This record gives sequence, C-alpha cells and structure tokens, in this order.
Amino acid sequence: MHIDARTLEDGSLIEGDLCIVGAGAAGISMALEWINAGRKVVLLEGGGFDFEPRMQDLYRGDIVGLPYYPLHAARLHYFGGTTNHWAGMCSPYDPIDFEARPWVPHSGWPITRADLDPFYERAQKVLELTPYYDYDADSWTRRDSTLVPFALDRRAFLTKMWQFSPPTRFGTRYRDAIVGASAVHLYTYANVCEIQANEAVSAVEELRVRTIDGKSHRVRAARYVLACCTIQNARLLLASNARATSGLGNGHDLVGRHFMEHLEIPSGQLALAGTPIPSTALYMGGFRSATRVQGELAASAAMQRKQRMLNATVSVQNMVPGEEAKSTFQFFNPDLLDAMQRAQKGDTTAIKQVRKVFSAFAPSAAGTRLFNLHTRQEQAPNPLSRVTISRERDALGVPRAQLDWRLTDLDFHSFRAFYDVLGSELGRSGVGRARVQTWVTASDRQWPTTLSGGWHHMGTTRMHRDPKQGVVDPDCRVHGLANLYVAGAAVFPTAGCANPTFTLVAMSLRLSDHLKTRLA
Amino acid sequence: MDRRQFLRVTAVGALTGLSVPVIGVGASGADDRTLRALAYPELLGVLGAERVRAIGVSYREATPAERNTDALRAAIDPAALIARDFADERTVLVDGWVLSVTEARQCALFSLLGR
Repeated sequence: MHIDARTLEDGSLIEGDLCIVGAGAAGISMALEWINAGRKVVLLEGGGFDFEPRMQDLYRGDIVGLPYYPLHAARLHYFGGTTNHWAGMCSPYDPIDFEARPWVPHSGWPITRADLDPFYERAQKVLELTPYYDYDADSWTRRDSTLVPFALDRRAFLTKMWQFSPPTRFGTRYRDAIVGASAVHLYTYANVCEIQANEAVSAVEELRVRTIDGKSHRVRAARYVLACCTIQNARLLLASNARATSGLGNGHDLVGRHFMEHLEIPSGQLALAGTPIPSTALYMGGFRSATRVQGELAASAAMQRKQRMLNATVSVQNMVPGEEAKSTFQFFNPDLLDAMQRAQKGDTTAIKQVRKVFSAFAPSAAGTRLFNLHTRQEQAPNPLSRVTISRERDALGVPRAQLDWRLTDLDFHSFRAFYDVLGSELGRSGVGRARVQTWVTASDRQWPTTLSGGWHHMGTTRMHRDPKQGVVDPDCRVHGLANLYVAGAAVFPTAGCANPTFTLVAMSLRLSDHLKTRLA
Repeated sequence: MDRRQFLRVTAVGALTGLSVPVIGVGASGADDRTLRALAYPELLGVLGAERVRAIGVSYREATPAERNTDALRAAIDPAALIARDFADERTVLVDGWVLSVTEARQCALFSLLGR
C-alpha cells in the first residue's frame, strides 16, 4: 500500500508494529520479509519514486576533512535509494574481516562470517545474483574453463571473486511488491526529522515526520529501524537531541565516529610476461560475461597478518591510450551519473555515452600485456573520521551533516605493503611485473590527488557488545534504547574490502529475522 | 643467470629484432656472447625496447657505481636467476617498476649497448 504523506491531513498519526525509516537496499530488503508476516509495517521514504533536486538537496552537507564527493550526489534520496545508480558488484566479506586483528585498532565484529553465511545465501536472491553462493575462484574455473586465476603463490595472493547484480534497482524491481502488499504501508515524502525518546531516554516514543510542503505527522510503532544510510542515520540520531543533549544513542560520544570508505585509487600497472600471455578472462569484463563473475587479486589473510596490513584487492583494467588511470570519483563524475540515469530511461545518446565510458572494463584485446591496477582497500576504523551536524539547517529545519573524512598511517602503510609484495610475487611467479605509482612509495606519505572512495559509507553507528565501544549491540539495537535498531552499513565495525551492499542486505535480513522473534 | 635463461633472453633478442654491437670492450668471443646475452633482459618481450631503455637510463642515473658497461658486467651475476632475485627480495624500484636487481642491470646494459 502506498500513501503520499503530502496528501495526509496535517498532524496525522501513523501507527504500525514495525517502522522502517528509509526505502533503500536495507529498508526494502527488510520490508519484503514482512509482506506475509501478519504485522503492519510502516515504511517511510523521504523522497518520491523519482529523482527530484529539491528532495536531493536535503542531503547536502559540508566536507571539512579530506576532499570528498558532494554528499547530496553521493546518495540518492528517493524510493530505492542509491541502488538507483549502483554498479552491482557483490562479494562477501572475508572471514578475517570479522576478526579482531591486533594491528588494526577497533577491529573485530561480534559475529563471524559463518554467522552471516545463511543470510548471504538469501541475499543472493534479493540482489538477483547467480544461483550459487559460491565465491571460490577454482569453482568458477570448473564451471568455465576460460576463467583461470593467475599462477600466484596463494599463501600471498588469492583471486577474490565477485558476482554482478543486473544491477537490481530496488526502486523499480520491488516497487510493485511493496506497493501491492497490504501489510506494508509505504509513505513517500515522509522525512523523519526527529526521533522522540521517552522521558527516561530508554525507548523511542514516536518519530516526527515532515513533508516538503510543510505538513507534520507522527509515527508510532513497537520497534523502529533506521535504514536511511550511514551518514543520514548518524545525522538523525545526533539531531534528535531534545531529551539527550548529545543525541540519541550517543552517551559515549560514538555516533558519527569511525566513518569509513573503501579507498579506490589507481595505483599502478601490470605488465604480463610469458608466451602465451596469461589469460585475463577471469579478471575483466565480468558484468558483460555470461557467468557475470569477475576476479580481483586479493591479499591473503596470511599476508595481511604477516605484513600487518589492511584487506585489499586490486582490479585489472584496460589502459586507455593517452589517458591517465582515473579514480572512482573521477570516473563516475556527475556527468556520467546523470547519463546513467538518462540511459536507464532509454535516452539513446546517454546509452552511447555510458557504453563508451565503460569500454575500459571490456575484455582485453588479444596480445595485450599492459593493464592498469586499481586498488580497493579497506579503511582502518578511525574515531576521528566522523560525521557531525552543522549549524546550517535544511529546508525541513534539520541540521545538515558535516563529514570529516580522515585516514591513518595504517591506511598508507597497507597500500605500500600490498604493492611491495605484489611486485615481488608477480616477478617470482613469472606472471609479470608491477609498476607502482610514485605516491605509493614516496617517503612523504602524501595521498595523491586521485584519492577517492567508492561511495561506500560505513561505520557511524558501529556494532559492539560493549556500549562504550559501539552504538548498536550484536542484534543491531541501539545500546540503551529498547526499541530502536539500525540497518545498513552504518553498523559495520570494519569496512572489509568488498563493496558493502551484499553484506548490508545480508545484515538486514538477519535483523529482520531477529525482529520477527521480538514481535512474535 | 643459467644457460637455459641465457638461451631464453637471447631468443627474446632474436624475436624482437634487436642487436647488441659489442664495441670497444676488449672482450673475447665467449665474452661477447655473454655480454650480448646479458644485455637482453626478458623484459624486452614484455615492455618493449623503448621502455627497457628508459628503465636502463634511470637505473644508471640512480646508481653512479654502475654507469658503464664494465661496471654493469661486473655487477651482474651470470648465475643469478631473476625469479630467485624476486623470491629473495633482491628487487629495485626503477621508474616505478618493481624489478629484480639482475634484470634492472640488464636494462642498464641494454641502454648502453642495445639498438
């Protein structure tokens, strides 16, 4: 069922058993689970069903740390959220990502990869991946003999496998299912501006909702889930300071801290040696191939331990003659994102533009030996890398977000360690040679102008058993608040090196199961 | 560098149509062949002559003690295996390339002798 919140009488009270704030990958994944659960679910979406600049402007914010992509362009504020322009790359986090690693401060999840495996398997279907929850390179070689990993020492480097979602645009793919469900009440243009706690600040009493045309509503439910993305979740908790001056869930000054990205930076080149040239079929063109899988060179857990480095992978990409390799931010510039949206609607000029740009990811031409190496590295959890709220307010009166993105020496050390070992291993194995960009080995340790993230926002409400070390508990419930939960990558204690969507959908399904037991 | 590897790098030289004139180094016939083989790094088949020459020039600029043919010939261990160099972390960074010390010296020799 769909209701446009602008059409409700001002001051309406909306009630349900479960209220999910945000209809992106996390919120919709959860709502789908409740269609036949016999409970009334209120799903609140701040935008409508399509891109609108005035709704998008509500996400505008300040950048005060390292240079970052404009916040209002980094997330989409309408039904389906940022899946409306995501690339579809999926891979589970590695077992080591969940471990407490002595060389990575603040690392360690209260759950293991094995705990999450059943939910990853279910997420495969939600994200329309292959029928196989299988991310083992050798398995894919058995399915397709042309997909052969480079012959590197597996004690140092593995081939981490990715599967490609079509990509699933949640806004179009699941709109009918959500709107047609009598148990799910989707309210569009319903922006939550404040979470109202009870007097004891031990539970949420109600949510205050405003529409862009000036109406105010209230929402009451037995349980509430914040699923409006890493930055907005933190912003909303911090802005909800009527009864807790530092914001809800922020008794230990943790909300907004440990903001993490994946560092996605062109870092070097690969020259393949030998005759015949080693096949790159496994590493290139994955989303165009029949199997829709692709490999990336990855640091093994053993190497991470030995080098005391963060997790990282490197993708092998075609070199465009006469062009420098681009970072993710440079590659996916606002023009391209705009073209991608127009292409989805059938604009033939935009389709041509997008195809031309994406030719960099096409399978390599026969005889090609030189490739770009594009690193995707986990960012170390850093309490100083954080989201706060500014004095400026948006059109609905909510303080805007302020992002202070900061990196550490461990982030830099890990880049260098990765390429030190990769360079030697490529030569030792005879696979080829690596060329490393100057900044990676420079003694001054300055990040390059191509420093970029992957728009993978994580960590502002991190999960930990100890309320002094995490905002949410292992069930994703905000410490100290009996009925408030967080879904999405905001709860990740560490970032892994895989794109977060697969993991955040798996985590949302896990939270959904938990809530079903609580509301039973 | 062993005999098998010598043959391989010499074959690379033949394939790429490159030649090494051995001029003014006072070498015997056997030494000529050794020098010729030394000046053909396997990298020629991977990176091409232009890049290899540039790497060689950079190596010589960065390594004052190995700027001429005699010094390079003396520095290159004919028994060295490039793979072993990598395994034992005898690597150098030249123009950003992670190279074995032996092949970096070969590039330097090529920059002096190769055409």
